[in-house]
Amino acid sequence: MWSSGREFPISACPKTLEKPVTFRVPLLLVVGALALSAACTPGTGGGGGGDGRSFEFWSFAAINQKVSVDAYHGKHPDVQVKLTEVGTSTETAQALTTALAGGKVPDLVLIQGDNLPKFVQQPQNFVDLRTLGADDVKGDYLDWVMKQSIAKDGEVLGMPTDVGGMAIAYRTDLFAAAGLPTDPAAASALWPSWDAFIETGKRYKQATGKAFLDNAATSVFYQAVNQVSEKYYDDARNLVYDRNPQVRAAFDLGVKAATAGITAGQSSFETAWSAGLAQGQYAAVAAPSWMLNTIRSTAPDTKGKWAIAKIPGGAGNWGGSYLAIPKRAKNPQAAWDYIKEMQSPQGQLEHFTRVGALPSTPSVYQDDKLASSKDPFFSDAPTGKIYTDSLLGLKPFYIGPDSATIGQEFLNAITNVEQSGGDPATAWDDAVRNIKTAIGG
Amino acid sequence: MSGVVVALVPAPRAAPPAPVRRTARGLGERLAPYAYIAPFFVLFGIFGLFPFAFTFYVALFDWNPIGDQVFIGVDNFTRMFADPRFWNAARNTVSIWFLSTVPQLSLALVLAHVLNHARLRFALFFRMSVLVPYVTSVAATAIVFAQLFDRDYGMLNWLLGLVGVAPVDFVQSTAGSHVLIATMVTWRWFGYTTLLYLASLQAVPLAVYEAAAIDGAGPWQRFRHITIPSLRPVIIFTVVTSTIGGLQIFTEPLLIATGAPLTCGAVRQCQTLTLFLYEQGFGEFEFGYGSAVGVALFAMVVVIAAVNYLLAGRIRADR
Repeated sequence: MWSSGREFPISACPKTLEKPVTFRVPLLLVVGALALSAACTPGTGGGGGGDGRSFEFWSFAAINQKVSVDAYHGKHPDVQVKLTEVGTSTETAQALTTALAGGKVPDLVLIQGDNLPKFVQQPQNFVDLRTLGADDVKGDYLDWVMKQSIAKDGEVLGMPTDVGGMAIAYRTDLFAAAGLPTDPAAASALWPSWDAFIETGKRYKQATGKAFLDNAATSVFYQAVNQVSEKYYDDARNLVYDRNPQVRAAFDLGVKAATAGITAGQSSFETAWSAGLAQGQYAAVAAPSWMLNTIRSTAPDTKGKWAIAKIPGGAGNWGGSYLAIPKRAKNPQAAWDYIKEMQSPQGQLEHFTRVGALPSTPSVYQDDKLASSKDPFFSDAPTGKIYTDSLLGLKPFYIGPDSATIGQEFLNAITNVEQSGGDPATAWDDAVRNIKTAIGG
Repeated sequence: MSGVVVALVPAPRAAPPAPVRRTARGLGERLAPYAYIAPFFVLFGIFGLFPFAFTFYVALFDWNPIGDQVFIGVDNFTRMFADPRFWNAARNTVSIWFLSTVPQLSLALVLAHVLNHARLRFALFFRMSVLVPYVTSVAATAIVFAQLFDRDYGMLNWLLGLVGVAPVDFVQSTAGSHVLIATMVTWRWFGYTTLLYLASLQAVPLAVYEAAAIDGAGPWQRFRHITIPSLRPVIIFTVVTSTIGGLQIFTEPLLIATGAPLTCGAVRQCQTLTLFLYEQGFGEFEFGYGSAVGVALFAMVVVIAAVNYLLAGRIRADR
């Protein structure tokens, strides 16, 4: 659900199941939908044709992947990359699943971290990148990021492209109007903990009568739950989401923020959330590195009115993606050459300077281009340093096949309290029950 | 609405064929009709019958499209009957169906009566314009309505605000989201239903209305005692088709809750059965479970069609 980029309201394909004509239609829905998604499977033909050097690449929309592809093409004019921007990260994973099940697969595909575990469970669908030389470069990447794409028998299924890190983006003009400090260091000092963050929200609300934060579910719970040392699974890969006190604490923080009256009740990436972002309906939003691009493109008129402060609560990460090569790819070598060059530490550093996505290769974190980078859109906040700092001391946890579903149900439970008048007292039990139903455990 | 099959009946021959070459020509003539209808049956077999039968097969498996397919018998069905999400979706579907069908049919009935009025000017213009929503893309309809009904920036809540009503969250509340979807469905289909009623009404001789008027029947009495009885068969037909349509409402709920499209909101407050099917099949990629939901939908539609058949039979018998 969480993409490195905006979720778009309209899924490109399955939107035209019309009012029925005869009773024959409904039962065909399943398979009709099957046929639909097969028909939706993007980009066949062209690209990765015969020369073994060109290849076909599926990526998400709205993350500006074309910049990288063009840069690669500039260095290797004889290589044609056929880029297809499938849709949101979720839609890309769905299209990939359909393609793997029996369609034409791309040579290279971008998979968002939350969608990855389901593919890692079925390693037979992908090229084991060790056969192409992944062992030589594996050490370049953050250990806990690399681990997530390694299957049970050690197959390397994907190479990390970026990580999110964590931070809070806030509106300096709105903070000033509420009598709050606007300087990033002073703002960060307002909220050493999540409780202090919520208190700041109350102060803001009292001063202005307006919402402090976009929502509690994503901007509080989803951040706090990614700052833990153990999340929904323990290190032995057993499900512990319902009895892990760290998850419970993050959930309670989310409920506390939801009931404190400090949020605008705008779910992240919804249309009204974007409108609220552009109109200053709320003054702060949780912003991993890829979110900066979202803010920049959603609210271009707010240039210079934003700044970036530290996230409360400690180190953590939200987001990040992987490049993988499907087993039936026609041009695996060409795809691997692209990965090797563009995802090398130097390649990722260049990518950072182009779009601001934080590299997953720690060797460049001290590089001047990153460490002293400032973003004029965000009042020259030292973004490179803030995001790399947010990863320092991060405690890696295991992300399993049901992690995305579990996270979504927790988010839903908090959104229910926040927006639909759900009872905060039963929210936890409701969430746990819904998770049990959803994952069948 | 219902699939009309045009039978190609060869015209009777003027003269019997000459006895020579009788077998060859006879065989060709006997096979030709099958060739004429073959394209339909071939396409139906590929895109209709096979997927239909395959759905029943897949429903018996734990079917991972990129992994293993394990036969589990009726486990998907027992799981479905114990699944609160399934019953929630069923409740939502019935609620949205009711909220959309009743206003839609009532509105269409009144409109058809008005449009059938002998002294209506520009009758053709009005009759055609009721069909405009029907030819509008359903996705466009959903997006526009979702904006009109938006909590913070919607026009409807702005109007409500003018008269002092607090903003209503049409997407995040159960009742509100059902009303929103039902409004879209009603808006899209009332014109179509109106035209069906109108066509049926035009078969009623104007003389009947005139005679009633001469006898002193007012507009309401003419509506009550002439219009409605003469429309009874087509009313039954539209109830059944809109019920079957109501069971399959999909696009509207998918498009209104942009943050959680597959569940139509955080607590599945407007997730319909087809959307639940889609979520399981193509969100979770539990093809087996999704197929089981599809089979359940099929069973419901069969029951409704059977009820329709019985009702229609009784109406014929009444006459």
